[in-house]
Amino acid sequence: MKLNRKILSCLLAAAISLSVLTAGCSSTTTQETTSKAPDATTAATTTAASSETTSGTTAAKEQVTLKMEEFSSSGGNEDTLAAMIAAFEIQYPYIKVDLQTFGYADYFTQLQTKVSGGNASDIFELNYENFVAYASAGALYNLKDMIASTGTDLSGFYPTALKAFQFNGDQYAIPDSFSNVVLIYNKDLFDKAGVAYPTDDWTWDDITVAGKAIRALGDDIYGFERTIQFTEFYKACAQNGGSLISADGKTFTIDTPENIKALTGMIDWVNGSNIMPTEAQLSGMSNWDLFESGRLGMIVNGTWSFTPFAETCDFNWDISVEPGNTQKATHFFSNAYAISSECKHPEEALLLSQFLAGSKEATTLRVAASWELPPVSYDDVISAYLKQDKPSNRQAVYDSLEYLITPPVVKQNSELQDIITSYLDLAITGSLSVEDALAQCQAECVTKITLG
Amino acid sequence: MSKKSKIGSIFFYIIATLIALAMLVPLLWMVSTSFKTKGALMALPIQWIPKKPTLDSFKDLFATEGFNGSIGNSLFVAVISVVLTLLSSSLAAFAFAKIKFVGREFVFLLFLASMMIPSQVLFIPLYLIMSEIHLTDTLSSLIVPGLFRAFAVFMLRQKMKTIPNEYMDAAAIDGATLGRTFFQVILPMCKGTLATLAIILFMDAWNDYLLPLVMLQSRAKFTLPIILNSMNGQYNTQYNLLMAGALVSMIPILILYAFAQKYFKSGLQVGGIKG
Amino acid sequence: MKRRKMKTGILTAFPYLFPSLLGMAVFSILPIVASLFISLTDWGGMTRVSIFHGFFAFVRENYIGFKNYLSIFQDGEIRTVLGHNAYFLVLYMPIMLAMSLLVASIISKDRKVIGVYRVIYYIPVLTSWVAGALIWRWVLSSEYGPINGILEIIGIKGPAWLQSEVWAMPAIVLASVWKDMGFYGMIFLGGLHNINPEYYEAAKIDGANSWQTFRKITLPLLSPTTFYIIMLSVIGAFQIFPQIMIMTRNAGPNGATQVMVERIYTYAFSYGEMGYAAAYSWIFFAIIFAVTIFQNIMQRKWVHYE
Repeated sequence: MKLNRKILSCLLAAAISLSVLTAGCSSTTTQETTSKAPDATTAATTTAASSETTSGTTAAKEQVTLKMEEFSSSGGNEDTLAAMIAAFEIQYPYIKVDLQTFGYADYFTQLQTKVSGGNASDIFELNYENFVAYASAGALYNLKDMIASTGTDLSGFYPTALKAFQFNGDQYAIPDSFSNVVLIYNKDLFDKAGVAYPTDDWTWDDITVAGKAIRALGDDIYGFERTIQFTEFYKACAQNGGSLISADGKTFTIDTPENIKALTGMIDWVNGSNIMPTEAQLSGMSNWDLFESGRLGMIVNGTWSFTPFAETCDFNWDISVEPGNTQKATHFFSNAYAISSECKHPEEALLLSQFLAGSKEATTLRVAASWELPPVSYDDVISAYLKQDKPSNRQAVYDSLEYLITPPVVKQNSELQDIITSYLDLAITGSLSVEDALAQCQAECVTKITLG
Repeated sequence: MSKKSKIGSIFFYIIATLIALAMLVPLLWMVSTSFKTKGALMALPIQWIPKKPTLDSFKDLFATEGFNGSIGNSLFVAVISVVLTLLSSSLAAFAFAKIKFVGREFVFLLFLASMMIPSQVLFIPLYLIMSEIHLTDTLSSLIVPGLFRAFAVFMLRQKMKTIPNEYMDAAAIDGATLGRTFFQVILPMCKGTLATLAIILFMDAWNDYLLPLVMLQSRAKFTLPIILNSMNGQYNTQYNLLMAGALVSMIPILILYAFAQKYFKSGLQVGGIKG
Repeated sequence: MKRRKMKTGILTAFPYLFPSLLGMAVFSILPIVASLFISLTDWGGMTRVSIFHGFFAFVRENYIGFKNYLSIFQDGEIRTVLGHNAYFLVLYMPIMLAMSLLVASIISKDRKVIGVYRVIYYIPVLTSWVAGALIWRWVLSSEYGPINGILEIIGIKGPAWLQSEVWAMPAIVLASVWKDMGFYGMIFLGGLHNINPEYYEAAKIDGANSWQTFRKITLPLLSPTTFYIIMLSVIGAFQIFPQIMIMTRNAGPNGATQVMVERIYTYAFSYGEMGYAAAYSWIFFAIIFAVTIFQNIMQRKWVHYE
């Protein structure tokens, strides 16, 4: 008797625990059925389905739901993206978009987890840094054939943007926006210091002169800011005629005289003339905060800062093309929509990506919201952008395109960035001389990173 | 004699208050920031009391899409997982404390060993497992791991060991089964430990951020910490919004803690017993 | 006869253990074992893998044996990183023990107003690190934060805490002490409560003053609690993570705050080297396990029981 009782209680305990575990299953199955129901159409009901399509589309399409995730709209542009999607769904009523937006810091952690579990969204956003890693791991759908077969027109897109998202010569993602970096300056501080505003043919020397004048205005007023880490460094090298990786992408060229000159120059701004604040002087404040509080004369920063600065800065400011040294070089950043290699509806996904990235409706919305720049070259869209104020010299953004350089992108991108930035830190704090820092950096990169 | 003890008393309160202030200063900063306007955030000299206090951050917070829903989600997950954990841990603790069986020490050691593993390390395999049993993007995926909390088992076992076996024998003489003894005799005697554990577990579930980030995919299901962290844009952190959110996030826990005060009077019992 | 049957046997114990064991098997043991196999591969973390279907085939495909472990040992980074964890521990432990004991003795007094202190001391424990770490970034700011502000009043020029290679880790210790003090204080309180008041009365009769009572009675009788706190904080010291990630970008100036879990997370999610990260994790477990066993042996020697 007692034994049976015990066995019974064992089974009961097991049953309760297992039912808790499987509690999740029932809720997901109901989820799946409700999202599957619209999908299920048999050939016989084509006429019923066609009642959902507008007169514009011809054949009956079965209802498709696309899952999409992205990060670039977080922090203020969610409404614009929602409007774009609404416009898309009006044009393509048989496609519904299920969108998830994440903060940038968390986005890639959760994306990687999902991809490894086979639960990636149909469309997910990538930036150029992570693109190569995902493409080479086979997580992305090769768009080349589909673009050809569906006759998708990408002619309006900037070639540089398209190229940034090609792998082994094939297109793997559609660029949805681009941004670049310009010189932003505080006109009021310039007036106070009696210095002429920056022009498009300024060089590093001009920055030093103006920076010193503004720095002299006060102890906690700085002349210039340009964060010394990987992203600014490779550009600084280019502005002195150097580069981090050889043109064929096969060798590292870190400790060259041009790069040494670039780094020495930047460090001198911090430690020499101190027109740039040291980390200690910033002590936790971000460079944006410093500029917005009206205590920074010039800052090298991206077009994405225009809207926040317009909202927060209570002084006059404008922009110009970023000064180079021996030559000009400007940044080019881009995000893109990639389609999962396991996507069940790749053609619809391509439609959505291309619409959000390059259609007139979407790009007009983007420009109106000053949410980075559309990767297309429609004149009327661009002129709408140029007409906006704060900053007024928006032409500088498009002029910068003449000098743009793309970042060196390798599969071990994060690791490369961390290595280089750590040696930059050592050089800034003086723990290593500039020559030693770059030499050791070269050595470590050659050992740890595989190129080509 | 009394003068000495009076001085001692004053000294005591000075120290106690200094420590309390040190604990509070960062929190006062949080409160002050949540009432500041964006411009005032970076003003120099630092404004401890905002010159133009505003409720804007709070308004924007509640207007953020998904915020209100996330409070409900967090609440649901926290409450259910606490109940689940208390149940399963007290059952296991009972077995470890009051039932002799072969391999008891070994299994307990296994439990202890698992406490040393930081969760971040198990992430991806855990996600893969959840994915296979179809629990991803469900709140259950956050609740079900509550089945196993070695810390709770440890604390309850300690407590149960202090309960003299005479109680068990008395119940047995009265004809109670082991199960009834557990529910009606032993468990009620652990009320204090259960209450303090409930607070700790609730707080863990409420503030947990990495697991929900990885498991949940639809914004409607997000828990509070995820929504708060999504205010960390790529280039711009809205500090005043974040601090307002953190403040709001702390309120339920504080209320719970205030209610459970009497159980905390005698502290958290863990030591004093061999093994 | 009845009694003995009720309280023994695996069959009796099983239903009580089952929920926890099931949870442990699925959410603890299975992932750890899976990660052991993953550590033998060069999986990047971005390709599709399934634990239940074709897992072993996947392992075979990407098998590289113990190469990950070898490179970790050869690289030497792990020694630096462990050093950082140890540095944290060495700073954290004595401060934590002293402060939480102090806190415990304060809140052990049975006066009404103490209730206020009890709540205040515990509030930091109730905050999440997401908010707490951000707040501490500002508190530690050398130009704008209150800590250097107070130091200035005393006439000391405070360092640039989080931006300085030397002071970054102490800053993390400070923030961690702030957060954990209330919790360990509560545990000490529990230990204090367990001390039989008869001992204190006997000491009073013998004419001992409070310091002597503290040294000869309170401390020794607190030793099991103290040991437990030491054990928890050692494990905790090796597991520090959220405060590192939020307070120090890129793990500190010149990697000063690179610690074990941070490295594992970075290799797994930033550098896309899951196999390497899994190997790192396993070495990490081994170390903690050894430390805990060592502590257990020490316990037999140092802890006094009644």
